[in-house]
Formats: sequence, structure tokens, C-alpha cells
Amino acid sequence: MHLTHPLELFPERSVTLLLFNRVQNAAALRKKAMEGSIEGALINPAMIVDPFQVLVAANKAVHLHKIGKMKTRTLNAEIIFNLSPNNNISDAFKKFGISDSDTAVLIVLVVDREKMVNLEDIASQVEGQQVSLDELPQLTDIAKVKKIYKITPQEEKIGTLLDGIICRISTKDV
Amino acid sequence: MRGRVVPGGRFCGGFPRAVGGALRVRRFPAAVAEDCRSGERRACAVSRRGPVMAATAGDAGAAGAEDGAAGPVRDGAETGEPGPGAVEAPPPALPGLQLVQQGAEARVYRGSFLGRAAVAKLRFPKLYRHPALEERLSRRRTAQEARSLLRCRRAGIPAPVVYFVDYASNCIYLEDIVGAIAVQDHIYSVQRSGSDASSLLGLAEKMGQLLARMHDEDLIHGDLTTSNVLLRPPAERLDLVLIDFGLSFISGLPEDKGVDLYVLEKAFLSTHPDTETVFQALLQSYAAASKKSGPVIKRLDEVRLRGRKRSMIG
Repeated sequence: MHLTHPLELFPERSVTLLLFNRVQNAAALRKKAMEGSIEGALINPAMIVDPFQVLVAANKAVHLHKIGKMKTRTLNAEIIFNLSPNNNISDAFKKFGISDSDTAVLIVLVVDREKMVNLEDIASQVEGQQVSLDELPQLTDIAKVKKIYKITPQEEKIGTLLDGIICRISTKDV
Repeated sequence: MRGRVVPGGRFCGGFPRAVGGALRVRRFPAAVAEDCRSGERRACAVSRRGPVMAATAGDAGAAGAEDGAAGPVRDGAETGEPGPGAVEAPPPALPGLQLVQQGAEARVYRGSFLGRAAVAKLRFPKLYRHPALEERLSRRRTAQEARSLLRCRRAGIPAPVVYFVDYASNCIYLEDIVGAIAVQDHIYSVQRSGSDASSLLGLAEKMGQLLARMHDEDLIHGDLTTSNVLLRPPAERLDLVLIDFGLSFISGLPEDKGVDLYVLEKAFLSTHPDTETVFQALLQSYAAASKKSGPVIKRLDEVRLRGRKRSMIG
């Protein structure tokens, strides 16, 4: 049900995505995430158009972590920060992190391939139903995404919305 | 070339082997093969001057071509041996990795990145450059390329999507447009099949419009040639994509835009004989599509009057 993809440039690491719907305890989860007592980055699925978006952000985060040039303090925070089109960290958390009233949560884990990660453990902390990543498009707020990433009308003619988003994520710091 | 193994001139003067799918390579006419070999000899002559030069005389013809003037000839002369930089810059660790092209500036690979077909363009360290310049130049070109690709996307100019930029190794990971062919190859095949140049007029019109849009955004490509414009499959749809923005910059000056077009003109007419009408059509389409084209075309005419064996009277 979850989605796992290896990071080709970082042979020992993989990214796992878990999607939950009908979540009741978003506030508690957010608190746990801030304390660091839950594994993974907690992301608002309404801002995610495709798992590739998260993979690109995670890949960049792992790269910067490896060379010691992250802008935030933890790998999970860096993933959320990378998703944002601007350089304001708290704004990134507000828009791409989860808020207390959210009913859906996307959990992103960067794992070492040999290390066994207990997904049930994480899933049990969420008071909600785990669903397949195929349901992600239903949870996406496309209008909001276009607004936050400032996708121009000309852009939509030459590629998909996802293309525009990926370009912004990867070239944000240039 | 003491002690150096010359790998039989793998790319020199020949056609890099077809890598299933898009063949995004430059073809060099036979004359250039001569240049390439003589370039090697020149590099040898340079190497005899001293031990330092010997170690770095690897890239044939690379010395002196740093700013990367446009034109297939230059590339032909320089896709000789990989050179010492090859050892120090390992290829990116992508599954299914294949080397597509080795140029003087960078090595282009194809592979799979996060589940998608991708192209990795690695600007490897050039040992013949001064180290201080080396790092700065490679990084600047990589960053400039990424910036320009983003700018294109925002303006609705078709260009590959940037997946990841690695500033540590100066490698940029881009979308691979599977099945695309370079306009250069398309023109070759059209001419080979005996069709008239008039069948290329549609292509010329599209190209003129695309360049007009790019210049109206004040984006100068810097290396406009027919191998830096791709056609998405199927080729008849004339769905163009611009690539290779390493030498690009932002400028509103008609001079820079005129020079950009001049570079394309020179590359076009030297690579594709008997296509003057096609390029004329391209310029007409450009003039019609661009709001600021008047001064640019005027400048282009002036630029044509400069250069070797040109009278500077007037």
C-alpha cells in the first residue's frame, strides 16, 4: 500500500511514502513531529500532485544532508522546506507541513536499505486509515498548488503542472 | 604524448554509436576529421613544451576553445579522447547509465532517475584550466543553465524539466525527451530523402516563432545550432524543444540577440548546404513573431558585415 523508491544517487537510502485519510489526531501528530518523536516528515497531501514531487524534494534533502549544506536542522524538515517555492522555512512548514485541522497526512521516510523500518509502528500512531498512494490525486488541491507555486498559464501549455513544480523545487537555490 | 594511451580516436571524426532512442549527437563532415587529427598533433606539439603541458594535452583542440563558440566544427575537433578529467569525475550512479556524448565542456549520460528517463550532464574538471577558474566556470555554467531552464519554463518556452542540480560535482539532471531527434538530424534525413527544402519551411516558421518568444523574454541562448533544438516524436508535429543553455545569459540588447541569430545562421548554413531559403523563412517568421525584432534584424545585418575578410567600411 505504501510506496518505496530507492534513491539512485545514494545507494544505501530509500524513500517510503505512507498516505493516510480520515485522520482524527492531526494536532497530536503535528506535536509529535515537532518534538521529533515520530519518524518521518509529515506533509499535507493537498499540496502534493504526484509522489515524484516528494521524491525530488527528498533526493535534494539527502544530497544536502550528505554534504552538510542543509538549510534546516533535520532531514525531515529539509524535505518539507525543499517542497516550498520560496526560502522562508516557517512559511514552508505552514503550507506544506500538516496543520491541526487536516484530515489527511502523507508521511515520508528516508530509510537506510538494510535497516528494517517498522511501518506498522508508525501507522499505529495515526488515528486514520492508511490508503494507497493512488488516492493521492483525489486529495490534491490543484488550485491552491497553482497559486502557491505561481504556475503561469504559458507554462501549462508546454508541460504538466508537475513539470513546473519540479523545476521550481530543483532550481530554487540557483 | 608520452606515456598516454590514445584510445584509438573513438569519437574523433566518426559517429558516436547510436544509443537506442534519441541520437542527440553532432555529425562532422569528413573535413573535420582531418582537423581533429591535426588538432591532436597540435596538442602533441604543445605537450613537448614541458611536463605540465604533457599531462594536460589530452583534449585535442580543447586548448583555447574555452568560451565555447558555436558550431559543429568545434565539437568535432574536441570529441577526441576523454582527457585526464575523465578519471577524476566518476559518472553519476544512475541505473541503465549510458554515455550519450562526450564534448569539450561536459559529458552527457542517459539513465533512470527516481523512476524517470533522465539525462545527466556532467561538467567534469578540466585540468588544463587554472584551478581557480575551473571551479568558478563550471559552477557558473551549471547554475546559468539551471536558471535559464527555469526561466524558459516560466515563460512557456519548451525546454527540458530540471530534476536535480548537484553543485558539488557540477552535474545537472534533466528530463530525457525519449525518442526526440535533433533538428540537425531531421534536416539531414529530409534532404537525404530527396525532398525539397520547401518541406522544411514549416520547421523554419516554428523555429522563428520559438526564438522570437525566447528573445522577447530577453533570454539569449548563446549556442544556437541545429543540434541544440530537438523535435519531440512524432517529428511531423514540429514540437520543438530547446536544450543546452550552458552559455546562456539575460540581455535586452539587440546586439546580443542579433549575435545569437548570427551564430545560428552560421551554424545552420555551414551544416546544411542549400538551405538559404529555409533560414530566410526562419528570420521572416522571427520578425513577424517578435515585437522587438526590428532593431535585432538590423543589428544582425550589421553583425554579418563584421568578421574575417569582411570590409569594415561604412
